[in-house]
Amino acid sequence: MKPTPEDWTDQARAVLDVSAQHLDAATLSRLNRARQHALAAATPVRPALRWTRRLAIATSLLLAVTIWWPDSGPAPTAPNGPPLSPEDAELLADGALEMTDDPEFYAWLDADADHNG
Amino acid sequence: MTAQPVKSCDWMPLDEAQTATARTTRLDGFLRSVERRALRIAELSVGSRDEALDLVQDAMLAFVRNYAAKPEADWPPLFYRVLDSRVTDWHRRSRVRGRWLGSWWPAAREDDDEDPVAMAADPAEAGPLARLIGEDAGQALEGALRNLPLRQRQAFLLRIWEGLDVADTATAMRCGEGSVKTHLWRALAALRAALEAHR
Repeated sequence: MKPTPEDWTDQARAVLDVSAQHLDAATLSRLNRARQHALAAATPVRPALRWTRRLAIATSLLLAVTIWWPDSGPAPTAPNGPPLSPEDAELLADGALEMTDDPEFYAWLDADADHNG
Repeated sequence: MTAQPVKSCDWMPLDEAQTATARTTRLDGFLRSVERRALRIAELSVGSRDEALDLVQDAMLAFVRNYAAKPEADWPPLFYRVLDSRVTDWHRRSRVRGRWLGSWWPAAREDDDEDPVAMAADPAEAGPLARLIGEDAGQALEGALRNLPLRQRQAFLLRIWEGLDVADTATAMRCGEGSVKTHLWRALAALRAALEAHR
């Protein structure tokens, strides 16, 4: 036989109602916080507040970039090598180093070395 | 063109602000009206008040985010649909966790920080239900409800206690109306048998 809702379902409903109505204070407090938290998600952010937040964020970023932007340090300098000898200085001054580009100069240098050696 | 009235404090158009406030008020009223029963439904399903509170909080948040713009008449089944989804997910996670722990780490329960003596129900504290209606009736009903399969328990609580009609219960349980009737029929039979046996 198909069971139909009878008296015991009314009693069950009453028992459940009572159990829901007599929750302790800590539980009710947590339910209240949960509801407020959920409702905060439904509250639209007001346009003025939204623009204020954006402006504050932009200002903070600008300030941070200004403060932390790396300073321009001293210009890079060439490393110091050993001092020029007087002979090398004379060569540079006379422009004699131009002959190093001449292949005939090296040929003459080799021939001279063979001749003397 | 007529100037739209504005609130002097925040430049939001007055009608828009009023609409938002009214909607928040209605949402607050609705959540107040269901939160206690929702907590008890979740608690009967998961067996822990703390877990049930977490589930109800999640359900409230998800409901407000996803369904607040729906017509108010649809709110009850949609809210319980979200809660039912959370409860089902909780059971699924518990099953997986229990299977994994049982097969790979049988000693895990012994290492739990929770003191089983502290977690056990206090036989002297039967709860408001038993105190106000009668200890036997309250405990018998709670025990019988906890012993029901999840879907049967949800069908009974939503249909008989929460008072949703068959269509709304089907929406909340994400199943067809025929399934709701089957689950409810079995739940009524099992509960009646359990309570009669208790007498």
